[in-house]
Amino acid sequence: MRKYLRWYLPIFTGVLILLAWVGIKEAFGIRNFVLPGPMKIVHAAVKEHHNLVRAALVTMEGASLGFVMAAVVGFLLSVVMALSAGFRMSLYPYILILQMMPVVIFAPVLVIMLGPGLPAITFITFLICFFPIVANTTQGLISVDKNMVDLFRMINANRFQEVVLLRVPHAMPYFLTGLRIAGSIAMIGGTTGDLFASSSAGGLGYIVLVYNGELKIPELWAAGFTACLCGFVFITVVLVLNWLILRHWHDSIVKADL
Amino acid sequence: MNPSLVTISGLRKRYGRGAVVLEDITLDVAKGEFVSLIGPSGCGKSTLLKLIASLSPVTSGTLLVDGMSPAKARKETSFVFQEATLLPWRTVDDNIELPLQVLGMDRAQRRQICAQVRNLVGLDHVPGLYPRQLSGGMKMRVSIARALSVAPKILLLDEPFGALDEMTRDRLNEELLGIREKRGFTAFFVTHSVIEACFLSTRIVILAPNPGRIHRVMAVPFPYPRTVETRESPEFQRFTTEVSRALRAVNPEGR
Repeated sequence: MRKYLRWYLPIFTGVLILLAWVGIKEAFGIRNFVLPGPMKIVHAAVKEHHNLVRAALVTMEGASLGFVMAAVVGFLLSVVMALSAGFRMSLYPYILILQMMPVVIFAPVLVIMLGPGLPAITFITFLICFFPIVANTTQGLISVDKNMVDLFRMINANRFQEVVLLRVPHAMPYFLTGLRIAGSIAMIGGTTGDLFASSSAGGLGYIVLVYNGELKIPELWAAGFTACLCGFVFITVVLVLNWLILRHWHDSIVKADL
Repeated sequence: MNPSLVTISGLRKRYGRGAVVLEDITLDVAKGEFVSLIGPSGCGKSTLLKLIASLSPVTSGTLLVDGMSPAKARKETSFVFQEATLLPWRTVDDNIELPLQVLGMDRAQRRQICAQVRNLVGLDHVPGLYPRQLSGGMKMRVSIARALSVAPKILLLDEPFGALDEMTRDRLNEELLGIREKRGFTAFFVTHSVIEACFLSTRIVILAPNPGRIHRVMAVPFPYPRTVETRESPEFQRFTTEVSRALRAVNPEGR
């Protein structure tokens, strides 16, 4: 019974939301360009699916490149910062500053610097995804139990062995948490990049501008839901990675199976 | 008398500018001895172990391990921590092999040694399990196997059985003596349990707190191998009472 509830309850909630949506629209006579009905959006999505898929692929390309780049660079930088407190102290304020700068403000500048299209989308996504990965991974690398560090000293492990055999595996759950946050915001980076990279790329952020200009409101909603679906792709990838890496040992995955 | 393996003389330990933790410790431990360190909290027994392990530097005085400075002797020393300190992402075998892997030993040789020490601690049936799948006692066995994998001359144990239930603790005490019989290491054993100290040791060092110093050293009169019968004999009971009394004399709350 419980097993089925996991599926039925969310579906039930979804039906309620749709009913409320249609009900409010009809009761108050809200017009389509203010709030289109769900069916209108589905129709728009079907009609526009060609453009939407193409735009989504453009955005996804930039967003995934930026996401992977953030994962790799973020991870490596965290290791360097964990190895050297000096490095950590010198770099951390600037990483914070980078994070505090609203990307939307710098996006136009970045587009000018990097040229419109893929490079700009990639880099903007990278900027957005980078911080949660570095912050979490560094935390994981430095929060190793003191006794474990003593153990590694006792067995005469060098610094490199300590990082590879102890700190990096210990930091994996933290790194994956960082990836999960980054994955859920990667599409923000991607579409922000699109907005400013405009017609040269033609991603989701761009066709939203076009639909908006043409007052194609249901199509705009359809584009929004498409971006949401793309976000789920990221999260799914991270969850699979999470399972692959932690399935044997981490409490978040294995719950008292003995 | 065997030659002395660990020589401690006039040793003093102070963390930074804080209180003195150990004052004027002098102790000679011969090869093959099993020395228990017992005393109230704050008497510096764990600290003494850390000094021998070279996990912390000596402030002043002499400490020689196998004729060398503790740092140089680290290759001959293994430490068993209060918690099992197993790496949760590694299987039992991979945990046991960790020190050998760090030494750069090849895989085949590692497997062979691992199988030996795993057998020694009675864990033949669990090579591929992860630490989370093990009970507290089994985790500690893995931890001991890992310490033994490098065939140390000296085994330092910091209250290894403190968190275990009494039955498991008794079993592990007996097994530890069995392993010692086969391996012939010299042991330093920190504990809060008088019975454990009496059952395992050749000598018991009672430490007094503030600052930590040696109150009394008592030789344990029972021959090895010791068994359940040893623990149940009236002589053993009488001896533990004597040790308890000596311990009470240094316990600030017990006065």
